[in-house]
Amino acid sequence: MSNNYFNTLPLREQLAQLAKCRFMHISEFPDGVEALKGKKMVVIGCGAQGLAQGMNLRDSGCDVSYTLRPAAIAEKRQSWKNATENGFTVGTYEELIPTADVVLNLTPDKQHTSVVNAIMPLMKQDACLSYSHGFNIVEEGMKIRDDLTVIMVAPKCPGSEVRNEYVRGFGVPTLIAVHEANDPKGEGLALAKAYAVGTGGHKAGVLMSSFIAEVKSDLMGEQTILCGMLQTGSLLCFDKMIEEGVDAGYASKLIQYGWETVTEALKYGGVTNMLDRLSNPAKIKCFDLADEMKQILRPLYNKHQDDIMNGTFSRLMMADWANDDVNLLGWRAETAETAFEKTPASDVEISEQEYFDHGILMVAMVKAGVELAFETMTAAGIIADSAYYESLHETPLIANTIARKKLYEMNATISDTAEYGCYLYNHACIPLLADFMKGIKSDVIGRGLSLDDLGVDNARLIEVNTQLRSHPVEAIGATLRGHMSDMKKIV
Amino acid sequence: MIQQDTTPLNICLNNLCVNFEERFQLHDINWQIEPQQHWVITGANGAGKSALAAVLASLGNVVKGTIEGLPKQVAIVSFEAQAELIEAELKKDDADIMDVVSEGTSVHTILLEHCCDQELAKQLIIKFDLQKLMSRAFRKLSTGESRKVMLIRALVSKPDLLILDEPFDGLDVNTLAMLQEHLHTLVDTIPMIMVLNRFDEFPTFITDIAYVDNGRLQHQIRRDDVQAFGELYQLLHLKTTNLSVPQADVETTIPALDPDQPLVHLRDVTIKYGDQIIIDKLNWIIQPNQHWQLSGPNGSGKTGLLSLITGDHPQCYVNDIFVFGFKRGSGESIWQIKQFIGYVSTALQWEYRVGTSLRNVIVSGFYDSIGLYSKFTKKQGQIADQWLQLLGMSDRADQPFNKMSYGDRRLLLIARAMVKHPPLLILDEPCLGLDDMNRQLVLALIEKICTDSETAVLYVNHHAEDKIKGIDNFLALE
Repeated sequence: MSNNYFNTLPLREQLAQLAKCRFMHISEFPDGVEALKGKKMVVIGCGAQGLAQGMNLRDSGCDVSYTLRPAAIAEKRQSWKNATENGFTVGTYEELIPTADVVLNLTPDKQHTSVVNAIMPLMKQDACLSYSHGFNIVEEGMKIRDDLTVIMVAPKCPGSEVRNEYVRGFGVPTLIAVHEANDPKGEGLALAKAYAVGTGGHKAGVLMSSFIAEVKSDLMGEQTILCGMLQTGSLLCFDKMIEEGVDAGYASKLIQYGWETVTEALKYGGVTNMLDRLSNPAKIKCFDLADEMKQILRPLYNKHQDDIMNGTFSRLMMADWANDDVNLLGWRAETAETAFEKTPASDVEISEQEYFDHGILMVAMVKAGVELAFETMTAAGIIADSAYYESLHETPLIANTIARKKLYEMNATISDTAEYGCYLYNHACIPLLADFMKGIKSDVIGRGLSLDDLGVDNARLIEVNTQLRSHPVEAIGATLRGHMSDMKKIV
Repeated sequence: MIQQDTTPLNICLNNLCVNFEERFQLHDINWQIEPQQHWVITGANGAGKSALAAVLASLGNVVKGTIEGLPKQVAIVSFEAQAELIEAELKKDDADIMDVVSEGTSVHTILLEHCCDQELAKQLIIKFDLQKLMSRAFRKLSTGESRKVMLIRALVSKPDLLILDEPFDGLDVNTLAMLQEHLHTLVDTIPMIMVLNRFDEFPTFITDIAYVDNGRLQHQIRRDDVQAFGELYQLLHLKTTNLSVPQADVETTIPALDPDQPLVHLRDVTIKYGDQIIIDKLNWIIQPNQHWQLSGPNGSGKTGLLSLITGDHPQCYVNDIFVFGFKRGSGESIWQIKQFIGYVSTALQWEYRVGTSLRNVIVSGFYDSIGLYSKFTKKQGQIADQWLQLLGMSDRADQPFNKMSYGDRRLLLIARAMVKHPPLLILDEPCLGLDDMNRQLVLALIEKICTDSETAVLYVNHHAEDKIKGIDNFLALE
């Protein structure tokens, strides 16, 4: 039934679409929400993301209502409560879709095909259909009626943050795109921009991308460095510390909060700054560990990227969807049973610096994962800007979910596609790193280096520093962080 | 005499109420002055500082309460005492039954009237440069000169307690330095009580501070309690400063409102959560320049009602609400509403957790944002600096907001709310969670705002004592 849209395009068009990603300046949004004024916006689904976007749009002067499946309304499910308690009109597809000028599809990817098939016949002539993820269009090849405009507006944060940042008078970074095959009147971009303004995204930075670039880079980032590497890293590091006799509560805490702490340094100053937080001998050690892991894991990253590009990944995942998520649910249950997940963090005090000093291997894993994901994506034709956002930029956001409630929270917060890909990565990565892990001791995870002499070889240090700083992810990162800080909070 | 010297001074005022010829009253003073203490009494003009000092010199009529442990020999230097002495001298001149022109008492006589230390008197006369005036009539001296005489007279009387009411006022720089130096030599022998209004004049030997307001002894603070000392400084600064509320920024214009339209008009508004009705069909009109106090017990919907006005409550879209010319839900954005409102609440303070500078926090009021996300104008920065000056926080302009004390953050958020001179200022329990000192600080600031601006104030609280002058409309929720 599904027909991979990306695979139908000629190579040069595929490459052109993958290369789309441009940071838009706030001055490019002088018309505000004008393009949406007087238009009726109907949101499908009222989970966290749907509710947050709808509230922001309404507070920006847009006319917003919600449509839910009849069962959700009849049984007064949580989605129905979310919408009605916040004073929104709620109706069935039949009641509201025919009145809509813009339909916002904010349901999970998995439901897109059935939802879009249900609403398309009800949609007004020349209306607009908006997605916040391009999977349905790109991977499933959903054909949308020719008269409809298809856009994507994807805030790059969970729903709660989308709302909170708006209320503060700011917004969250947002990706917009127009599906060029469905832009009959050429108004897609204007609508997407107005929508981004309505959610507050223009204040935090808007990336103009394409459906294809969004899907292919998003899938790659989320299943490798963002979720996969952090999950695998958590499990391997924890088990190693237990094996080495480190206190279990301490080990649990070091990992749970360690990712967040070390990637905070990443957010501010890239991989370079993250490694600069280590002592000189630790930095060199970390660099060597990361190099070793990159060699071991490069084929895995290539495989993930290849499977994403040629549609194998989405085909297999959709087969699981069709099979009642047997794989996904089984893997989720396995994760809940891991020693790391089941060991509560102790309340021992760990200083910010200690997370680096005792987590050298974790820093090395983040470095290896970020660089590999970036290198693999750019080698596959994804523009460096996209690759940066989908690797380095989002890692702290995911690390943050682990700090909140470990792997459970991470997997509960991320999309189904991310969660599925994360397990695939984890299953392949753990055996690949088995030999490597045999050589690991608690000096690089759990206890820190115990050196009488902190001296290092000058030539080696210079070599390491040069290599760190000259990685391409650092160059694009410096440029984009510069753009962002122009508009970001004056801290 | 010998016994008195060895008994350390220990003065105790218990629930003391004192009348000063019906002109002024001190209420319920509880105060203990212990050995080795040197106090400053401070407060705004008319607060009762001098009256409290005078009580220690056995002046005024005790109406209630007790005062114990006053020493026999108390010397007081004050403008009142000075004026009294001069008046007495002038009366001598009126004694016309003698039919001779009275020269009045000489400086020499006045100075040595109660002198116990001739040697010291000689030294001080030279130091204060009074030799040439010794034979002059006291009443013919200038104010400054007679002040010097009063000071020397007190110092040479070897008192058991020395009370100096604004002793530094009217003294030239040299005399001032000399007097301060001399006071330092007395630290171990004579307890001192000084009435002073300027913190920078507090001598270093002062151990304790008494803050008087409205005839009451409001705060007693140890000099070495750095935080309390800082807060007291701010309070006194706000109470005594000549600075007024900084002007609005002419370049950051809030659109003009129709003066004949109410600012807020709520018709039959209802707030409900599930089946629970919090506000039931309430009507409320707030006119321009009208001050309101909103009260009601916890859970009566005060904050919910306010957030209908500010647009923070999602049910504002399902009610009949007219605010600042907009019918809610007619395509306006909340930023169009918020530009007319300044808002302070405990909840805002919880949400305002940013490490940005104090200046930026105040500037963020121009943009209605939590944190600052826009490049602000020079003028806006200057206005923020004026507010910091008013708050007595100029020296902290670049320090991070989240490192300030709870009370200071509240003051800053009030300044932030007011910086754009909104037509409506909403203060939702602005004193909640504050200690007494900070409560008074906040109220002092709010009073200043009420008197200095044309903003309509909507004040929510349930502390009856936190009344604000000038609020004359009341809405009570049940």
